[in-house]
Amino acid sequence: MLKRFLLLRGAEIIVLMALASVPLMVNNTYALGLLTLLAIYGILLIGLDVTVGYLGQVNLAQAAFLGLGAYAAGLSATMLGYGMMASLSISMLVGLVLGGLLAFPALRLDGPQFALATLSFSALSTTVLNEWEGLTSGAQGLSLSRPTWLGLSMDAQGFYWLCLLMLALVWMLMRNLLASQWGRAFEALRDSPIATDAMGVGTYRHKVAGFALGSSLGALAGGLYAFNFQYLQPQSFTYDLMVILLLGVVLGGRKSLWGAFFGACLIVLLPNLLSNKLLFELISAAGLLLAVVSGVRAWKSKSTQHFQILAPIVAMGILVVGGFMVENTENWRKAIFALMLFSVVVGLPDGVMGYIAKLLTRILRVPPADIAAAVSLDTVLPKRESDGQTLLELNDLQRYFGGVKAVDGISLKVRAGQVHGLIGPNGSGKSTAVNVISGLYAPSGGEIRLQGKRLPSGSLLKVARVGVARTFQNLQLFGELSALDNVMVALKGVYRTPLPLLLLGLARAEEQRAQGEALALLELVGLKAQARMAAKDLTYGSQRFLEIARALARKPALLILDEPAAGLAHPDVQVLITLIKTIHERGITIILIEHHMDVVSELCDVVTVLDGGKVIAEGVPDEVKRDAKVIKAYLGVVQDDAPSDAVDRKEAPAC
Amino acid sequence: MNIEIIAQMVVSGALMGLVYALIAYGFQLTYATSKSINFGQGELVMLSAFFSLTLLNIGVPYWLMVPGGLLFGAALGLLVERAGVRLALQQKSEGWILLTIILGLLGFSSAENIWGRDDRPFPTPISSDALHVFGINITPLEISVAIGVFAIMGLVELFKRNTLLGKAFEAVSADRDAAELMGISATRTIMLSYGLSGMVAAMAGILISPITTVGPTMASALILKAFAVAVVAGLDSGFGVVLVGIVLGALESLTSFYIGSGWREAPGLVLLILALAVRPNGVFGKATIRKV
Amino acid sequence: MKKTLLATLLLGMFAAPAFAADAIKIAISGPFSGGSAPMGTSMRDGAKLAIAEINAAGGIKVGAKKLKIEVVERDDEGKNERGALVAQELASMDDLSGVIGTVNTGIALSGDKHLQEKGITKIITPAAGSASMTQWANKADKPGVKDLSIFRFAAHDGIQAAMVVEQAIKSKYDKVAILFDSTNYGASGRDDLIDQIKKQGNKIEVVATEKFNIGDKDMTAQLLRAKAGGAQAILIWGIGPELAAVANGLAKNGMKTPMIGGWTLSMSNFIDNAGKNGDGALMPQTFIEEAITPKAKSFIEGYHKTYNVDRIPSPVSAAQGYDAVYIFAAAVKQAQSTDTKKIKDALEDLKDPVKGVIATWHHPFNHWDPANVETHEAFRSGDTVMGMVSDGRVVFANQADRDRLKKNASK
Repeated sequence: MLKRFLLLRGAEIIVLMALASVPLMVNNTYALGLLTLLAIYGILLIGLDVTVGYLGQVNLAQAAFLGLGAYAAGLSATMLGYGMMASLSISMLVGLVLGGLLAFPALRLDGPQFALATLSFSALSTTVLNEWEGLTSGAQGLSLSRPTWLGLSMDAQGFYWLCLLMLALVWMLMRNLLASQWGRAFEALRDSPIATDAMGVGTYRHKVAGFALGSSLGALAGGLYAFNFQYLQPQSFTYDLMVILLLGVVLGGRKSLWGAFFGACLIVLLPNLLSNKLLFELISAAGLLLAVVSGVRAWKSKSTQHFQILAPIVAMGILVVGGFMVENTENWRKAIFALMLFSVVVGLPDGVMGYIAKLLTRILRVPPADIAAAVSLDTVLPKRESDGQTLLELNDLQRYFGGVKAVDGISLKVRAGQVHGLIGPNGSGKSTAVNVISGLYAPSGGEIRLQGKRLPSGSLLKVARVGVARTFQNLQLFGELSALDNVMVALKGVYRTPLPLLLLGLARAEEQRAQGEALALLELVGLKAQARMAAKDLTYGSQRFLEIARALARKPALLILDEPAAGLAHPDVQVLITLIKTIHERGITIILIEHHMDVVSELCDVVTVLDGGKVIAEGVPDEVKRDAKVIKAYLGVVQDDAPSDAVDRKEAPAC
Repeated sequence: MNIEIIAQMVVSGALMGLVYALIAYGFQLTYATSKSINFGQGELVMLSAFFSLTLLNIGVPYWLMVPGGLLFGAALGLLVERAGVRLALQQKSEGWILLTIILGLLGFSSAENIWGRDDRPFPTPISSDALHVFGINITPLEISVAIGVFAIMGLVELFKRNTLLGKAFEAVSADRDAAELMGISATRTIMLSYGLSGMVAAMAGILISPITTVGPTMASALILKAFAVAVVAGLDSGFGVVLVGIVLGALESLTSFYIGSGWREAPGLVLLILALAVRPNGVFGKATIRKV
Repeated sequence: MKKTLLATLLLGMFAAPAFAADAIKIAISGPFSGGSAPMGTSMRDGAKLAIAEINAAGGIKVGAKKLKIEVVERDDEGKNERGALVAQELASMDDLSGVIGTVNTGIALSGDKHLQEKGITKIITPAAGSASMTQWANKADKPGVKDLSIFRFAAHDGIQAAMVVEQAIKSKYDKVAILFDSTNYGASGRDDLIDQIKKQGNKIEVVATEKFNIGDKDMTAQLLRAKAGGAQAILIWGIGPELAAVANGLAKNGMKTPMIGGWTLSMSNFIDNAGKNGDGALMPQTFIEEAITPKAKSFIEGYHKTYNVDRIPSPVSAAQGYDAVYIFAAAVKQAQSTDTKKIKDALEDLKDPVKGVIATWHHPFNHWDPANVETHEAFRSGDTVMGMVSDGRVVFANQADRDRLKKNASK
């Protein structure tokens, strides 16, 4: 643990010290200019990484926020006469507000639509900066001089240290934030927005917050940019720059402060790397070597596709050969950048820093972070006394899709402390009913009451917050998060530290407690040993159990299990049955949708059978199985000699 | 203001709008099969235009140059699919956004170095002497753009409806999984869609070049508008792009006339953000239901 | 990781090509890529042509030795940020004798302060925006710099705008439209034009002031506004491709309104792309690609041969780059030093005339006076002639100018 801490923090401190001491060692305005820009771009890219890396959205607005921040700071200094810090604060505020405003409509979208919305925003902000001549002097540009800081006038060196200080601060605060529940929530909503809502975390608000945060960092970088160059023109902040920034983040490595820093180094130094032919040839040869070596290793392990191995080699090969053929490499700068990026995106999805970090972890044998010891299950899930009263009540619930009546007037009561089975043939409306209860769909009619109170409708988040947790028939895990983090994201009632303290890294105790609780739940479902594994790397069966552990982290009054046994091997089904019994014993009410009749028979106190969106039978499992209507629904026709256990044998395959 | 001027503005704008629509149509083709679009489509337009210009310069007659240019565009489209899209689609990631941007950058830089950074005229046998129709000036060249846009879109639609390959295309667009179960290769259909999309981009390049000249940056302004048109109309809106393209083009002209020429870009961008906020799937797009 | 990073950092930063100790080191900076590249590369190639000639003749005699000129090329991409970094890099080179270049006014505004701080001599060419020099001059709220190492060798927009307005008045236009692009260049051109119209007695009414963006192809709206206002001429400030779009738009809308504008109307990408629609466009020129003098002939032929073209992309930029080098060389010779500060002093007081391709330069610069920008400007309106596009080339608009230049050269 100590070794890890020393290595990680040590690396940060050494690099910071090295950067800070450069002006003391060499007196070179150019080096200073580059390093200043490096610090500024570092902040900018850390901000961009929030959306691109953590939220997983292609954000094309960061250059615009750089520009808006730059103008905000520049105008505050020139027109309002504000000092350094006041101007920079204005920048951040502008970024935060505009980022938030853009996020509201834009973050309802994802994928290409989001990219396009941000692209339009960038173009629009350039237009406004250019046209609002009264304020920004338009295309003529805004000349400004660096304001003082605490009464000190800032020369190039002083300003560099200020930028570096800002970078260090941003680095520290972001490290704390991203290591907290916030960071996990960002990543969770990237992997599954639906599950994030269903786990009570709130996709939308975290997205908006994340985007606004990233934008305000972009704007802060803009403020520094303004005071660095002391001359601004709207055309500096266009699509061209944006592409370079985006690619810098990806090249360096997403979801990593070091990656953002490396990307910034690359962007700033690239023109210099290319103007020196020998250096360029060295770099391209090293790139080819890296592509070949990692390609051969990947080929041996047979884990990657041929394309992923060959494409980077071909791209780097072109770079090396092209380097000899082309006279002026600087003319081909964009193409060179593109080839390097192509290789990295295809061959090293974690970016250069991601790759190096993995390599170093192995070489230096950096131990993984410690996990706090599991607490006792009683602290996480204290036993509830169930009074047998009605917990959940559906009254004439309806949900139509166009003309299809998926749920057509279901009424039922789920009593506290019971395991309530919900069965029916495919298309009978079970899943839709559960999706309406859990808030994924708003009902077309009828009402749902939980403990007598109306359940919020049409909002996964609101339903989750009143104590309903669910699993998903088609798994909705947060694939790139570890098993432990999957559970920690959902954990209820632990995270209370206010944001400012959290940013300062004062949430350790809370984090420890969360780890302990999450680990206890993993232990319950038998995944304690896999706590560090990424959810996507778990076996299918383990993933199903992980979903249950995650739902339990909500400490729910009502737990909805949507076909938990689907696709499970037989021994796992037995484990599942034991697990559900344990959960039941803790006093948690369960709605169980299941096709496996033996599971239903063994676990359920009451079973409701649906067909065609209506309730066709209800009662204890054995009764229901003999019900003629149920048999007809399952087999289509009723034969006189239909065996009483017809339903048992008709074990529909999981869909 | 004079009605003739308004009419002139609308007509000029609408003609540019048709070109936006054609490029947007190229986005639709690939979006239908793969839910992906080529963010470097503008570079395809530009590279195909340069290639066609080279064909003309080495003495290929105009009417032979057109199919040559279209083939080149289709080949580039296939290259983009292979190098930039296929892997990401297999991994179900959005890596294609980045990869197509990167390929676009590569194409841009290559064009700058191969053909030079300067804009060049694109000769055409079609006259650009204005005709006066009801007080509106319009050139045969502009009319040829409109005809060309509808011709290529019509041909692609006919192809989709009347050939076996085309029907496979429609099947994959409607339901990829079901189509695969029926033995239609989704990968090949996606290749086809990228080829077609590249061809449409090349057509846009050939049509617009005589008016706009050919240069590395010729499509950078166009492409943003095409994005706006595609998204406002909806990426699965079919001919909705034509309508939105025309409206946007006309709106731009009128904006620059009445509000100020610097604000020309603004209506498209505002419209895009608004459309996304109100109807994320586009004005003519189909709403999707969240499934779990 | 840290090591490699640092190594890369250091290598990348300080790996300037090694120079022979006995050489005059001159930097040429400008946009060699991006939209302004035709001007940047023409300027660079013109300058390099002059340097090659000087070196072929053995170099410049400084003291006992003949020193050759060595060139550092830096591409500022036409981007302010890059321009500032390039200037910082150049400012950090201890043995640099001077800098020639800059096309975009924004780059002069963002970068030149670094050179001025270190007192490095720079000759700006061909950037014409007034602000490049006025940023150093006295202003209402603060005094200008006392000692300036930045010179300009270009017909600045003030001169050009004056000529354009003069031309409009001479042609008896009383209503004009001003069209300009949305960049720094266009916007400051617009201000200069309006300023000149006022200065020259407000004889002209501006009926429309219209803007267009870089990359715009459809100018219908702007032109119809001009037409609606009854403009008899279009005064225009922009660069090649968009100027061509305006010319083509005029033809398309059946307008015969003549265009008068900045020197950029002579750029090949205007002439080519406008075709016959560009004929008749008038612009101030410092150089016209016509071999009317032996010097011009050898320059034009040399350029065509060396760079394998049959027409210079931007003749004005090339000729100015060429002459700027000769003026700089003359200053080195007079200073008898490669020290940039001594060269600056020599430039401010050049004794011998310098025979250039544009003109023979007699004492082009004077000692800097913050109250008078002209002290560091080489061009007066007399050095500039009206050019006209005719049949794909720029020719003298007035035969008198042609004869005068010919006569001057033969003197």
